[in-house]
Amino acid sequence: MRYGSAPRLKKDLVTLGIVSVAYLAISAFVTNSYYQLIMTLVPVWALFGVSWNILSGYGGQLSFGHASFFGIGAYVVTLALVYWNLTPWLGIPLGMIVAAGAAVLIGLPTFRLKGHYFALSMLAYPLAILYFLQYLGFQEMSLPMHRENPAAYLEFTNPHYYTLVGVILLILGVFVCMLVENSRFGLALLSIRQNELAAEAAGIDTKLWKMRALVVSGMLAAAAGGFYACVLLVVTPDSVFGMLVSAQAVVVTLFGGVASIWGPVIGAAILVPLAESLNAELGSMLPGIQGVVYGVAIIAIMLAAPDGLFWTIRDKYFTPKPPAPLPASLAANAPPVAQPAPAGSLLMKVEGLSRSFGGLRAVSGVTFDVRAGEILGIIGPNGAGKTTLFNLLNGVLSADEGTAILGGQSMLGKKVHAVARMGVGRTFQVVRSFPRLPLLDNVIVGAYGAGFTDADAIASAAHALERVGLSALAGVPAGQLTNKQLRLMELARALAGAPRVLLLDETLAGLGREECDDVLDVLQRLRTEGTTVVIIEHTMHAMMRIADRFVVLDHGRVLASGLPRDVVENRSVVEAYLGKKWAAKQDA
Amino acid sequence: MTDLSRRTMGLGIAAGAATLSTRAARAQTPSEVKIAMLVPLSGPWARQGILEQMGARLAIEDVNNAGGIKSMGGAKMKLIEYDTQDSSEKAKDAAQRMVAQEPDLVGGFGCWLSSFTLAATEVTERVSLPWLTLSYSDAITGRGFKHVFQSSPTADKQAEELLPMIVELASRARGDGWKPTKFAYIGDNTASSVSFMKSIRGPKAQELGLTMVADEVYTPPLSDATTMVQHIRSAKPDFLGFQSTNVPDDKLLADKFAEFGLRSNKLPKIGGGGHWAVPELLNVAGAENLEGILVALANWPGKRQADLEKRFIAKTGEPWFGHDSIFAYVHVMILKEALERSGVADRVKVSQALRTLDMTDGPAAFFPDSTLKYDEKGRRMGAKLCVVQWRQGKPVPVYPPSIATHEVIWPKI
Repeated sequence: MRYGSAPRLKKDLVTLGIVSVAYLAISAFVTNSYYQLIMTLVPVWALFGVSWNILSGYGGQLSFGHASFFGIGAYVVTLALVYWNLTPWLGIPLGMIVAAGAAVLIGLPTFRLKGHYFALSMLAYPLAILYFLQYLGFQEMSLPMHRENPAAYLEFTNPHYYTLVGVILLILGVFVCMLVENSRFGLALLSIRQNELAAEAAGIDTKLWKMRALVVSGMLAAAAGGFYACVLLVVTPDSVFGMLVSAQAVVVTLFGGVASIWGPVIGAAILVPLAESLNAELGSMLPGIQGVVYGVAIIAIMLAAPDGLFWTIRDKYFTPKPPAPLPASLAANAPPVAQPAPAGSLLMKVEGLSRSFGGLRAVSGVTFDVRAGEILGIIGPNGAGKTTLFNLLNGVLSADEGTAILGGQSMLGKKVHAVARMGVGRTFQVVRSFPRLPLLDNVIVGAYGAGFTDADAIASAAHALERVGLSALAGVPAGQLTNKQLRLMELARALAGAPRVLLLDETLAGLGREECDDVLDVLQRLRTEGTTVVIIEHTMHAMMRIADRFVVLDHGRVLASGLPRDVVENRSVVEAYLGKKWAAKQDA
Repeated sequence: MTDLSRRTMGLGIAAGAATLSTRAARAQTPSEVKIAMLVPLSGPWARQGILEQMGARLAIEDVNNAGGIKSMGGAKMKLIEYDTQDSSEKAKDAAQRMVAQEPDLVGGFGCWLSSFTLAATEVTERVSLPWLTLSYSDAITGRGFKHVFQSSPTADKQAEELLPMIVELASRARGDGWKPTKFAYIGDNTASSVSFMKSIRGPKAQELGLTMVADEVYTPPLSDATTMVQHIRSAKPDFLGFQSTNVPDDKLLADKFAEFGLRSNKLPKIGGGGHWAVPELLNVAGAENLEGILVALANWPGKRQADLEKRFIAKTGEPWFGHDSIFAYVHVMILKEALERSGVADRVKVSQALRTLDMTDGPAAFFPDSTLKYDEKGRRMGAKLCVVQWRQGKPVPVYPPSIATHEVIWPKI
């Protein structure tokens, strides 16, 4: 569990309990069977939204085809009831298991794709299943009626019971979502959403977590679909696999609030009754008008509250309490870090590292050593291949030739998160934070990535914050931090995994002179504590201040290396930076 | 209850005061009795729903003009209309709304498309509302429901009857001892067509001395019929059946055969389903290309309804009184009959009355076979196919003889 999650969980559970009881109490007074049906559909679509939210809200893996799992749940319940006379009470769990299997099958090929490509491929699955079911002759499956003992088959003459079952399913779904949100699962997903590469570089096995999210999400969707079939009585491929079904999950969640437990619930509670009553009141007079009104309502709310109702209302009306400072004991409990290699000993050895993009030799035969406890500056003009070099070292790109050894182990040919686990921390040019999450949670991701237990991860993150001097801000949402603090936060995130070597990519970019000095002070302090740093930087004066040695890259080759003083006076370096003319002037 | 409901409405969750119970209307002799019509009034099937609506409204008018329901002190019948829209889900939804908002309904009919009927009756059956339907699917009355009554011959029965009926029609029309021996079929791959074709390909054809010389299947919507027409032309069947399911495909098929010189005077054709006999098809395909095409369907007003047909045409401006409208008309009449017999506006009693109907007059006269009796499944006993033939831009009944206004024409080739 995340730091401070216990009171939050408790508060959310109490809210959930109160809302559920109030909802059921209201439903008890609704006697019109149609309005009762609407009250049953609200938790169904809310649960579907919760399921979508786990994969696409928290994990950022936009799925336009969540109807796959919803429909699988519905069809498993229906077919099992028709052919095996299996009660939906068991059919729903069975559907969840089938959906979990389907999630793995769908995830394996589809997670190779990213962004829009992923979203669009997800769209294809329900459509394919839809036609397949039509081909099999399952166009219209009605759930057989049981006159004897209907409750055993999830059939009730009193429609209030349907609402009750729906609410119970939703409670379970929301509870699962709370567990996800408050654990490393949720943080891993959030970090994947922010930047998959950065998450990998922090040591998070993004493929594995995404797959877990898809499986959990698919199972919840199947539960919603299975119960929906029982309410629907007649299941058609279009009603459970159709485009509009997938859209429903997206819409209720976006409307209510993405990556929030309550978002889908709020969205469903408003949109489902609205859509149904529009449909009922206007559908027969002006067919299609309900869709127009519904669409306009959604567009309006998206313009006014792009993050969804939950976040907009929370940000506007509920200023969070000033966070309590972290207890000092927390950082002290940080897990003991393996004794750093003795200062000056060889830590990392890179030899003949090359990588071409077509005809462009981006990195060509680069060779250098990193010694324990030093700050090695990698400098060079724009396009010299500095970031490419980092990308080769931490596994983002594969090398064409050469070797890179860290503490006796090759760093090449490994996945990014595996390189991170070897003890390579990395920061990126552009800071990726989770603006709504407290600073500590932002940093803890790095500790999770290193494979620490929950308690160790919290302690290690607190310790990392202390080292960069941000302890006092541990509870502040990252969205309120300054640019400098964000840079330090990223540094802390990389430190939280107790790395053996830090690869810092333009950590000082965009900082003013004073801010720059503050960050440099932190880096110097880290060096005195024995941390080894390889840093890419443009700001020459800063590099001169902190770097122990320089490696100068130009056109992918090592131009020079050695002590800063020697390097900056090297004629070819001056030429590379300032041109031949300038170099000649210098000589003169 | 009502007060509390209002309060909940104030909370933003609307609630009505209606209850979901099988309770009948309170008054002993109500001044009006409500029946429901749930048909597609919007979406792609709206036209069929509107044709039903026209028939039903005329029937209600006829009942009320004739003094309403006599056993209930002349209570007027009132038609409550609901729209299924365009999917089974919405049809079921509309049914749910219907039973919630109109708790004193005593019966109803609909929903034209079998899928919609299947979905809506799942709702009506659960509140014991008697429901009449013209839909064909066997599944509708294959679920052990007690309050659903199917007036058409079911799809399986139609498939079984069709080939013998064509052979009989052909040999009678020719009158020279000739019988067709080779036939061909073109059908789409929708669910109802697939199950229909299973039966057509079965052993029945052989028993009749028929050989299937071409069997073409396509995925609707049909985009080009040329290859199929060429196959059929080279197979030289004695007649050709169409198991298509929508007007655009019907039009394309009729046009393409005409283009290849295979109008019905060269190759007799028989289409299945009401969509082969609607004014829209005439508008798009034209009288010339449709001339002589036979259409098998579940009901058609015959010579006995000449007067009713005239009134219908005068009132609605439609070119003819057809399959969908007469079904709606007769369903209102059957419900009226059941209400007369039960004497109270109680849906369970009305359902019982429907179950015990056994008539050959009254509403029964609106069926070609003039029988009105539902079996234990709720299927109308004796329901038979009828056949109309396109003649100069109008479908005219040619079979069975009880409704026929014209003799069937079968070309000598």
